[in-house]
Amino acid sequence: MRRPLAVAAVVITLLAVVVTCEVILHNAPEADPLGKRLLYLPSPDVLRLASLGNDGLVADLLYLWSIQYYSQFDFREKFLYLDTVFNLITDLDPRYFDAYRIGAMIMSVQKHGDPELHKKAIVRLYDKGIDAMPDDWEIAEWAAWDAYLVLQDTDQAVKWMGIAAERPDAPGVLKRLYGRWRDNIHGWTAEDSIAHWEDVLAEAETKSETNLATSHIYDSYVSLHRSTLDPMLQGFSQVARRCPESWQELVDEGWLASVPVDYLGNPYGVDPNTCTLVAHKKIRWD
Amino acid sequence: MRAMLAIARNTLREALRDRVLYLFLGFAVLMLVSSKIFGLLTVGDEGKVIKDLGLAGVQFFSMLIAVMMSVLLVSREVDGRTVYNILAKPVRRWQFLLGKYLGLLATVALNLTLMALVLVTMVRLYSGEWDMGLLFASAMILLEMALVTAFATLFAVLTRPMLGTVFTLAVYIIGHVAENIWLLTQQITVGVTKPIVAAIYYLLPNLERFNFKTEVVHDLSIPHAEIGVTVVYGLAYTALVLVLACVRFSHKDLT
Amino acid sequence: MSNVALRVDDLKKTFDPGLMKAKVEVLKGLSFEVQRGIIFGFLGPNGAGKTTTIKAIAGLIWPDAGSIEICGLPHTDEAAKRRIGFMAENPYFYPYLTGREFLEFHAELLALASDVVSSRVSQALEKVSMSDHADRLMRTYSKGMLQRMSLAQALLGEPELLILDEPMSGLDPLGRRDVRDIILGEKERGTTVFFSSHIIPDVETICDRVAIVADGRVQAVGEVRDLVAQEVEAYEVAFVGTAPSTLNTPVLAGHTGSDASWVRVAAGHRDQLIRELVDDGVRIVGLSPVRSSLEEFLMVHYQGGAS
Repeated sequence: MRRPLAVAAVVITLLAVVVTCEVILHNAPEADPLGKRLLYLPSPDVLRLASLGNDGLVADLLYLWSIQYYSQFDFREKFLYLDTVFNLITDLDPRYFDAYRIGAMIMSVQKHGDPELHKKAIVRLYDKGIDAMPDDWEIAEWAAWDAYLVLQDTDQAVKWMGIAAERPDAPGVLKRLYGRWRDNIHGWTAEDSIAHWEDVLAEAETKSETNLATSHIYDSYVSLHRSTLDPMLQGFSQVARRCPESWQELVDEGWLASVPVDYLGNPYGVDPNTCTLVAHKKIRWD
Repeated sequence: MRAMLAIARNTLREALRDRVLYLFLGFAVLMLVSSKIFGLLTVGDEGKVIKDLGLAGVQFFSMLIAVMMSVLLVSREVDGRTVYNILAKPVRRWQFLLGKYLGLLATVALNLTLMALVLVTMVRLYSGEWDMGLLFASAMILLEMALVTAFATLFAVLTRPMLGTVFTLAVYIIGHVAENIWLLTQQITVGVTKPIVAAIYYLLPNLERFNFKTEVVHDLSIPHAEIGVTVVYGLAYTALVLVLACVRFSHKDLT
Repeated sequence: MSNVALRVDDLKKTFDPGLMKAKVEVLKGLSFEVQRGIIFGFLGPNGAGKTTTIKAIAGLIWPDAGSIEICGLPHTDEAAKRRIGFMAENPYFYPYLTGREFLEFHAELLALASDVVSSRVSQALEKVSMSDHADRLMRTYSKGMLQRMSLAQALLGEPELLILDEPMSGLDPLGRRDVRDIILGEKERGTTVFFSSHIIPDVETICDRVAIVADGRVQAVGEVRDLVAQEVEAYEVAFVGTAPSTLNTPVLAGHTGSDASWVRVAAGHRDQLIRELVDDGVRIVGLSPVRSSLEEFLMVHYQGGAS
């Protein structure tokens, strides 16, 4: 110990060995590229116990870690573990909005694996969030938009938007969106549509909302009337071997009691080419 | 050499006769045995949970024993007056310090071996297999403890016992978090800080290198070269820390 | 073979407590020699540098300047260390060792041949009268017993030079006598004994030579009787009758008896007193110097050193 040069040489040599080894190990391929260790995260109950009451904190830490982990953008298959991880996070803290939202988002950008599985997992995650926060409309709305835009599953979107619209304090627009989407997919009967839009009409506060509701009610009535009136036109044209020129003819021939009118009270017309009902829709949008 | 071994043997004897040790050991064994209960709470593979918790317990309690015992066996002696009569004899300072270190390491090793055997037995009882991989993981934990104990010895020489304990614990925590420092460097783009942080990362003891728990529990294969480099890393770093400790101790005035 | 068992030459040491505190110069050039085969006492007040000097000799502290030789060898040499037996100031122990195990451990440190270990240990135990308690845990020993074990480990190597830091502190008079006897016994065997102590009567009775240390230096060194003899502190003057009431000379002590009295005055006032008494017609019957005890001698030098 009293030969400083010798000691210094030893220290420097050891330091060099240490740093070299660390560099080698750092650049070695990862032992666990598929993140298998994630599959074996303890169950939520164990973690909850271990966190000693800090469920939220552990959920936070896991969430942070998962963001870090998944933002190391690469194409390796990690999808399966997303499910586990985000389920774990949301088990620990069921009201963790971001976990649902970001988890679904990450899942939706996975490029590998079975898209059907992805979809199912996303739906599962959102359903879980919607159930866990029954007084929250945002989660359902978010889910609905994701379904509509990303998953392109309008049925699912409509379902979730409907839930969102029913939640306390949900803005009126959700109800209108719901109605509009449902009409688009013909996802309900005309009577249901009319009932829904009459509700919206009753709650309408602005002119445009009123017009919108009116428009949908009108369209639904058209579709309702069409279902009974078009067959009549067909029947008449088979008997008379021609398409009637107007509804008046059917009234004269005793097919109808009076000329059918639309929701706004204007008489319907007949399209001579297709021999079907024509609606003259006029709604002032100003 | 003989003096060094005599000191090591004496240190080990002192540790084994001190009841504090058995308190830790008792807790450790209790924890290992109760990992079965934790296993019941999980959905799926109980065996994995027992192994995971078991190895974590082995590591945690080994660390505790290393830190606590270093206060009793090394700090107390260096800081107090019991070292005078020994160093007045034809015993070199570094022989004394290394002897203390070896005694302390032997204590930790004995405890770790005991805990590892309990774990292997438990796994055998539960799943019917002798998982030798657990012994490998434990051996790597021992290597980690050799390094942690070296730091404990260094701090015993540099500062007072309580402060030394705090520093050793800090090294342990930092050593396990070092990886994340690397992730941090990836986020920084500003010129000067990045190489500095990188330098710090490479110099800090990266205790996660000795962590083969995942590979062992999930039966992943580990390249032999990687094990070799890890062992060299552990031994070289331990030697480095001990050399620094001996150098400091040689020049220290024992007032 | 050198005649000097221990030589300390111009030893200097400054301690730096660090940060905001001022440096402390403890040893300011301390020198002395200890011849073979004698008992050498090392005396001084707290802060004089006694303990620092002893620790420097034992290699526990590194001096800033100066040299230390043990039996002609540099004090850090392994060969030099092999020749000394050191006993630290406070007894210490490993709580969970027995006395015998403790000594066996120290025998290992001395690298004694294994066939010799057990006999040496027994001998050392005999010398300090601890044979009956050797197999009890040291945790159960009294302070006196620990002190004796501490001395025993110093004797294990059959050293040429014994260095003892306060060997008799904390012992009852019986214990002190035992240690004194051991030291005298070692001297008879030809061992040089160097020890520091605050217990002055003990130093007075057994030391051949003494060094007085104060303020980081050796203030005086020599044989006890010479040191004390050099300084005649006072004189006692005996005379017939009673002391005159108008005595001007300051009197340290006095006693008036039925026939004769005596007064004690400081050495410097002797002549003045005699003149006064003679002038008063007092008949002086006796004049004797008072030889100061070592304690008084020390007080002088402690004060001298401090000033």
